[in-house]
Amino acid sequence: MATKRLKFKKALCIGCQLCSQVCSAYKEGEYIPSKARIAIETCYDDGSLKYIDNYCILCGMCMKACPFDAIDMDNGWIHVDPEKCKGCGLCAKKCPKHVVQIRDKFAYICDTCEGDPNCVKACPHGALTFE
Amino acid sequence: MIMSAYQNKVLRIDCTKQETRTEPLNMEFAEKYVGSKGLAIRYMYEDMKPGIDPLGPENNLYLTTGPMTGTPIPCSGKLSVAAKSPATGTMNDCSIGGHAGIRLKFAGYDMVVFEGQMDKPTYIVIEDDKISFHDAADLWGKTSHEAEKALIEEYGTEFSCLSIGPAGENLNNISCINSDYYRQAGRGGIGAVMGSKKIKAILIKGTQGVKVPNIKETTDRILEIFHENCLSEDNEFVFDEGTYAFLEACNDGGILPAHNFSAATDVNWDKYNGAVMKKYRLGKRGCGSCGLGCGNFMKVGDAIVEGPEYETTAASGPQCDIVSIEHNVRFNQVVDDLGMDSISAGVTVAWAMEMAEKGIHDFGVHFGNEEEMINILYDMAYRRGEGAELADGVKVASEKWGGTDFAMHSKGLEFPQYEPRGSFGMAASYAVSDRGACHMRSYTANEEVFEASCPPYTHEGKGQVLYDLGEFNAIKFSCCLCDLWGTVDYAIMAELLTLITGKEWTEEDMSTVGRRVLNIGRAFNQREGFTREHDTVPERLFKDPLKGGPADGQVMTKEGFQDMLSQYYEIMGWDENGCLPQELIDTL
Repeated sequence: MATKRLKFKKALCIGCQLCSQVCSAYKEGEYIPSKARIAIETCYDDGSLKYIDNYCILCGMCMKACPFDAIDMDNGWIHVDPEKCKGCGLCAKKCPKHVVQIRDKFAYICDTCEGDPNCVKACPHGALTFE
Repeated sequence: MIMSAYQNKVLRIDCTKQETRTEPLNMEFAEKYVGSKGLAIRYMYEDMKPGIDPLGPENNLYLTTGPMTGTPIPCSGKLSVAAKSPATGTMNDCSIGGHAGIRLKFAGYDMVVFEGQMDKPTYIVIEDDKISFHDAADLWGKTSHEAEKALIEEYGTEFSCLSIGPAGENLNNISCINSDYYRQAGRGGIGAVMGSKKIKAILIKGTQGVKVPNIKETTDRILEIFHENCLSEDNEFVFDEGTYAFLEACNDGGILPAHNFSAATDVNWDKYNGAVMKKYRLGKRGCGSCGLGCGNFMKVGDAIVEGPEYETTAASGPQCDIVSIEHNVRFNQVVDDLGMDSISAGVTVAWAMEMAEKGIHDFGVHFGNEEEMINILYDMAYRRGEGAELADGVKVASEKWGGTDFAMHSKGLEFPQYEPRGSFGMAASYAVSDRGACHMRSYTANEEVFEASCPPYTHEGKGQVLYDLGEFNAIKFSCCLCDLWGTVDYAIMAELLTLITGKEWTEEDMSTVGRRVLNIGRAFNQREGFTREHDTVPERLFKDPLKGGPADGQVMTKEGFQDMLSQYYEIMGWDENGCLPQELIDTL
């Protein structure tokens, strides 16, 4: 079976940021979008509506960049081994979607809530899907 | 007790000294008024002496969140912006959308109070616990959109910007505050209060969190309510058309005002309705924590705006005998950019058009002329020529030039776009509203026209309708939840508040708080000298039969109108003069 991934359709996004609020609730224990593992926002710029769509696309760049073999995708989602990760930040540098957070010497990366992403449940009009 | 979901912190910014200090949130006030609207009015009542000049240093500007702000409770992202109004002399709380509300909460504050005045143009940056003042000499004189663009380019899109345009700088009574370009704290000259403090803009960024008990279970339940109730069929129109949907309902119901509240129908309504809007829509947008997404970002010709809302469409279109969606969009873009309230600006221009039609005075605007209408908006904002005569709205203009009978306002705030002769309760609603004519207090048109749950062309029984709707919105906006979550009820509000605050709230508490919020607004105004004699609507409603539509020929009686006030006062426990007795004030 093909690996399920987060998909984003901007025409259905209203920029509410419920995705990042809900992500942080389940992952950080408070509503704190600045620590969420997804950052989808919209803003106006020079008379146009811009979409900032930072979410894990399971490209595996972080895994390939890790010098400590701390990251695997064996189950179809990212897993960071807390024993091996040194928080060096190379994965964050390589992440094309800018969603790896290095805090307290550890890399916090979206694990799609182990194949059942809560951000998708919070998305009001189906802009975020998991398929 | 210290409740969860609050930040338990109030930031006070002394503009005169350019100093800041923080204090714990008054939890007694929070328990009695919950947040946002109610909490802001209670603080205003506590902080400000009666009789102060709304444009003087003693008037404070309050940005107030609620316990729900920053949580994934849908429709909880709006921010209360409150001060004493220069237009009405009453308290004035506005509700601004966009993302400033959630960002202020994430910056760690329940409320920010701007006190005093600066002596030169300044913008203020709030970034978590770092507050800084910056010279805004280069921004002063620029439009609101120009200022926001320049500041966001410098600071980044993780900041929200609240800004004023030239109308606010020039202390116009119809000036507003903008955020996210197209969201406004619109009414009662709130932009002039910011302008009087010489604050061109406020930038807000927050990286902190909001804590609630049992967050996983709480969030699970919030998401259940979100899907089962908020995203239900009854609310689908919000994402589909937004408030454009009201256009057909108001026209069919005979309450779509036209020709400066002479008529209440427009045969051309379907030339600028939601179906037409969709042809020009580029994208949808909601506020932070929204979930519904009412905003329609659209471009017609070279006119671009997120909007126009129903109110703006009616005020700029049928009220001025103009049939053009491009004009509606351009009008909206221009008033936003100049920092003027679209309702008050539209109603003021419509009044000026009627003044010319009647030969009383020619302000250079005439029914049906789009170009004249757009041009005078600039003159109003910059107080130039005839535009200067209209810069403070219809009350000030009509007291000088005449035409008071058809100057459509209560207490100096221009009428929203619901015709009272087609929905009698709206007349009393405008009259008793705590900030002058406002549709966001007791929206009786919903019961009298859309739902048809009570007859529209009578005063009988309207006091109770007025009260029930007013109490409901008072607690809803204190939570603070957006008006457009139409299916939320006291049971849901109480459950959500209980989940996030850790304190038990009941449906009865929602009713009690709602009533208390109505009372504190009235108490503030009473202290300023407002009584029954100020609860008025213009003579047009009693003299001129309405033209066209289902309410054709309807006119109200003064006796019926006064009876609605008496009914309402009695339910509120106020005396015949519309005043709270001292024992009631003591409970606030």
